[in-house]
Amino acid sequence: MEAATDYVCMWLDFYKATFTRLNGEDLFTLKGLGSLPKNEDVAMVWYRRKVASFPTRYKLKKENFDNQYVMDRFLNNEYDVLHNHLCYLIDKQKWLNDPATEDKLNKLSVLFLAKKLGLNIPHTEVLTDKRSLIELMQIYPQLIVKPLSECVLFSDNDGAYFKMLTEVISIRNIKAVPETFFPSLVQQGINKKFELRVFYLAGVFYAMAIFSQENKKTVSDFRNYDDKRPNRTVPYILPYEIENKLSHLMTALSFETGSIDLMVDREGNYYFLEINPEGQFGMVSHPCNYYLEREMAKVLTNKCSA
Amino acid sequence: MTYLNLFANCLLVKGANRSLICDLQLNKSYPISNGVYDILSFLKEHAIEDCIDKYGLVNEEAILSYVDFILYKELGFKDDRILEELAPLNLSWDNFSDITNVIIEYNENLNYDCQFIKQLFNLNVSGLEIRCYHSPNLEKLGAFLETFNGTVLNHIKLILPYSSDLNIKVLEKLIKKNLRIKNFLIHSAPSDTTFKVYKDSVQVIHFAQAINNCLFCGMIRSAYFTTNIELFTESQHHNTCLNRKLSITGDGLIKNCPSMQESYGNMLETELDNVLADKDFRKYWNLKKDDVAVCKECEFRYVCTDCRAFTEQTKKNNEGLDISKPLKCGYNPYTNQWDEWSTNPLKQKAIQNYGMQQLNRDA
Repeated sequence: MEAATDYVCMWLDFYKATFTRLNGEDLFTLKGLGSLPKNEDVAMVWYRRKVASFPTRYKLKKENFDNQYVMDRFLNNEYDVLHNHLCYLIDKQKWLNDPATEDKLNKLSVLFLAKKLGLNIPHTEVLTDKRSLIELMQIYPQLIVKPLSECVLFSDNDGAYFKMLTEVISIRNIKAVPETFFPSLVQQGINKKFELRVFYLAGVFYAMAIFSQENKKTVSDFRNYDDKRPNRTVPYILPYEIENKLSHLMTALSFETGSIDLMVDREGNYYFLEINPEGQFGMVSHPCNYYLEREMAKVLTNKCSA
Repeated sequence: MTYLNLFANCLLVKGANRSLICDLQLNKSYPISNGVYDILSFLKEHAIEDCIDKYGLVNEEAILSYVDFILYKELGFKDDRILEELAPLNLSWDNFSDITNVIIEYNENLNYDCQFIKQLFNLNVSGLEIRCYHSPNLEKLGAFLETFNGTVLNHIKLILPYSSDLNIKVLEKLIKKNLRIKNFLIHSAPSDTTFKVYKDSVQVIHFAQAINNCLFCGMIRSAYFTTNIELFTESQHHNTCLNRKLSITGDGLIKNCPSMQESYGNMLETELDNVLADKDFRKYWNLKKDDVAVCKECEFRYVCTDCRAFTEQTKKNNEGLDISKPLKCGYNPYTNQWDEWSTNPLKQKAIQNYGMQQLNRDA
């Protein structure tokens, strides 16, 4: 299932809190609407995420790649209506993060809100033609292109998968860019020293620096380099000024939890990249010994007794 | 100026005659001389150039080779300053369960379907070791294992005596009944071998010696060292064997560890809460390696497990707790040599006290 959630539940047990865990998968064995949680029985809700994968897969009688896609989309939409119904069943203020606000979160507007609140962001544009791209390259020689929404996985008829990645565009590969293209997010490439993953929980920031492979200066003599080595992940203290601005951002979005991505460049400048309110905190908690599962359980129990 | 920044999860542990770099992320450790320890400690606050100034140009090559070692093993990186914002790792330790690990000396004539066991596993225990000194009825054992389905227990280690019927098929059948089984230790085996079963997910160790009573516990070997954040942080505050451990002996007695003298009642007649509230039951939980004679000067003290049941019986602290070195450790941190513990003349008195002479002759 979901390891971080498992641990939060065990900490809740330790604090002798009464709670119910509802997994997205549980909706597939729902015994009527009456068995959904009731508003009056609930003091506080933490929404972790929707569902890992549907426990059942429905096949069309006559296999067809395109129709299967339409079918999957339809089932997702069907599921969403039932799932979103939960958000309306329980009063808005009882949710640690309001799932409706989470749903409406717009990557672009969050970026500009962060900028308005004084945070640095990489220069951000949406472009549709090569000419403007070349013009922008005069100021920022290295640009990156990434989705406005989320990266998706493509699959073909043979079941092979293709993952969408962030692409770097510079004078070297500009040739491959068509004259005009679908409106695309283009950002200034940052010469990064390291990335920061920050988990925000009820006013407290838990930051982790990620030293990634591509950035490492290996001494040329050591050629037998093991590629499988993971990125180095270590605890980090954000400057007060950055924390302060991020606090304003979280307040403006009325989020009590969220995973924030930042980048630090070679000169030591901080850039805000994005927020994921669902908050994948397991990857920050363990390497930094932050016990975030315990802190989450504490926040939930404290808010209930308050 | 160039500075060497060591990553916060790469920690230096100084011993009497040698030190250890513990990489708590990649779970590796590297022995270094205490001279290198001093240089690396100096570099935590000073530039590489200043270090060369201090130790002299004759040592420049050596100092730079230590820096290269750190970079090569990715234990740190160079920068034009020490990055203060890279905070030290918080070494606190905590757990969501009052009892994290349980040892049961399995006796198929006991009734484990009792209140005490139910309450115990309701605490969200994560690890269980089931020791069978004699060949059990596998049907009965299987049924016992099934009682843990539905608990959050995630790791079961089964200790069984070797028998020719205990083939891979039988082991896998047991695993199927309870997927929490992650290790088998088969003692009295024809030879010492290790292999994996159940699609390589479960380790089986064949051990040539017999494990037919609890005198066999408490061995300290370098193969048992574990470099990870859990053990390293727990060992800063607690005993790395006994903390939050509860054992049930073959007689149904509740103990901290089966090899220890003190027992805290029979599981059929005792309330779990009373055991947990008993200060005596927890008396060794906070006795750290830093409190144990010899161990406190050993570079392996935070990657090693302890044993309080069998010690050299030479030292006690003010509270009457035994703080002598584990009996079955043959490592000498003052010489960095490993020797056979059982033939050490200084240990013979304790060996006799525990009645282990026979054991040694068998081994």
